[in-house]
Amino acid sequence: MPRRALIAIAAAAALLIAVALSLAIGARAIDLATVWEALTDLNPEDPEQLIVTDLRVSRTVIGIIAGASLGIAGALMQSLTRNPFADPGLLGINAGASLAVVIALTLGIGGFAAQVPFAFAGAGIAAVIVYAIGARGAAAGAPVRLALAGVALTALITSLINAVLLVSDSTLDQYRLWVAGSLTGRQSDDVTSLLPIVIVAVIAALIVSRPLQAVALGEDTARALGINITATRAVVIVVVTLLAACATAAAGPIVFVGLAVPHLARALVGASLPWLLIVSALGGAALVLVCDVIGRVIAPPGEIGVGITTALIGGLIFALMARRMKVVEL
Amino acid sequence: MKILRIGPLGITTHQRTFAVGLLMFAVLAGLLVFALSWGKADITVLDSLKAAVGIPVGAPGDFVVGQVRAPRALTAVLVGATLGLAGAILQSLTRNPLASPDFIGITAGASTGAVVTMWMGIGASLWITAAGAAIGALVTSAAILALSWRRGIVPLRLILAGIGLGFVAQAFTQYLLTRMDVHDAGTALGWLVGSVTGRTWTHVTVAALILAVLVPVVLWHARALRTMEMGDDTAKALGISVGRSRVVLSVAAVLLAAAATAITGPIGFIALVAPALALRLTRNAGVTLIPSALMGAVLLLAADQLSQLMPATLQFPVGIFTAAIGAPYLLWLVWRASRGGPS
Repeated sequence: MPRRALIAIAAAAALLIAVALSLAIGARAIDLATVWEALTDLNPEDPEQLIVTDLRVSRTVIGIIAGASLGIAGALMQSLTRNPFADPGLLGINAGASLAVVIALTLGIGGFAAQVPFAFAGAGIAAVIVYAIGARGAAAGAPVRLALAGVALTALITSLINAVLLVSDSTLDQYRLWVAGSLTGRQSDDVTSLLPIVIVAVIAALIVSRPLQAVALGEDTARALGINITATRAVVIVVVTLLAACATAAAGPIVFVGLAVPHLARALVGASLPWLLIVSALGGAALVLVCDVIGRVIAPPGEIGVGITTALIGGLIFALMARRMKVVEL
Repeated sequence: MKILRIGPLGITTHQRTFAVGLLMFAVLAGLLVFALSWGKADITVLDSLKAAVGIPVGAPGDFVVGQVRAPRALTAVLVGATLGLAGAILQSLTRNPLASPDFIGITAGASTGAVVTMWMGIGASLWITAAGAAIGALVTSAAILALSWRRGIVPLRLILAGIGLGFVAQAFTQYLLTRMDVHDAGTALGWLVGSVTGRTWTHVTVAALILAVLVPVVLWHARALRTMEMGDDTAKALGISVGRSRVVLSVAAVLLAAAATAITGPIGFIALVAPALALRLTRNAGVTLIPSALMGAVLLLAADQLSQLMPATLQFPVGIFTAAIGAPYLLWLVWRASRGGPS
């Protein structure tokens, strides 16, 4: 069996373990036998089984959606910008979605379904801006420059969000929990409604991965292979926007998952983009679930939102990546 | 090129730098008079100047100018200068125009330290908040240095490590916000935007004392800083103790950034923009400390006045204003750099 397939299977196994942990561990530890029984043969009298089916399953599904979306979005952006630091969180795309959701909250637009289009619009605008600025010209997207463009955009968007929040205490109350990145704040029905969009985006990502890989080799090569460069890039930006917005709408703005996971995945499977996307999706989902589980147990009796644990862990990974890079690569 | 020698300190400066400094000082004075005398309450310029220095002029000037406008304007001036100075030192030390405390995680660390004091319920005293901010900033900077140290410091690596740790610090702040009750969280968030509204003479005093301690230290090492811009070897050959000067200057810059953060909350982009503008005006070869500080003061005071001139619905704290103006400037810088190869 080829090495890449083995790695993909290993990633899937890691995800499976993460799912099991996510279902079993929490304020109340539930043994795996009971978890299995709840999933296969539910006994509605057993409170432990109800915890699994009512709370932990939806939470796990949300984590998988967010993590897989961010993993793929990060891998696509890194390919598109040829920049190892591209990440929808770091580059302000998630922040753009947040701003739009905050605006929706303030306008009194209640309901998840109504907020999602706002998240798409916000993420889309931010994606176009950061791509236009960070990845143009000959030396497209020198790492530091793109990271700085993202930081500047995030700072701008954050200040706009703050401006809105200062006006309204009720928006602040909803927002501060949401921005901490939590897998528990949303209704599971709402989030499963995102699933079709995510699936379409993932399929589109896999289809576009081959032409994108050719474009990443250089525009001349891609043209020689008969690839429509502009269309490829446009599709990638749309797919990244959809995935980042879905992840943000589901779990709040999560940074660094889209950065760290593809980075590790590339070290394992090499440059093949389709494999990279698959492994990044599996690994991203596993990472978000593990971070969520850590957040559940690290500060009893409370919990730490997954957005915070991923930022704490991912920020360190980012700094370590910067440490390992050679000077010329910067 | 003429060199001026000013007083016993023996600061040497180019004539143009000196002239630009004087000009900025004049602009700052003009802005200050405007800030003191302009507003809803009708107070003459002379009365407002008197009230600002504590000479009684009767109601409403004693209160409106003496207790509201004057401390606010002076806070803006002092914190602006502090930020400009911190930015200039860091940009010079790293030899990178993009290194400013608000991007490389120092301000984020200071904010976290200050929010910790609020979360513990001991943030009422400004000195304690300042101490918290200083500790947070120093811990973060030490972590940045530790993470980016690899047989010496490469500025770009330092900046990236700072960006990463800035996110870590920010995440921690957000966690603390979810742990407070909503009223306290609202207060902390208001503080996190960065504002000079409602600042008192206590804030002015604290800012002035901190500057009074740190500015002489920085100026004492100004020559070392300028020389080190030419390279460590040159500086060593010229008799500069490079290691010690760098440590002293870095700690001073971190403490300046922390002090500014403690007094007004994190105000972004002043530390980035002020040294760059000062450099353009003075046309100096390297970063200039005093013009940068003056420029920081001018920018923050002007931004605050601008925010007060806005219609009532758009009167946001000055931190939102500086970000709304400064972020596009940075994006433009990045965009322009992308045309000319690697930045």
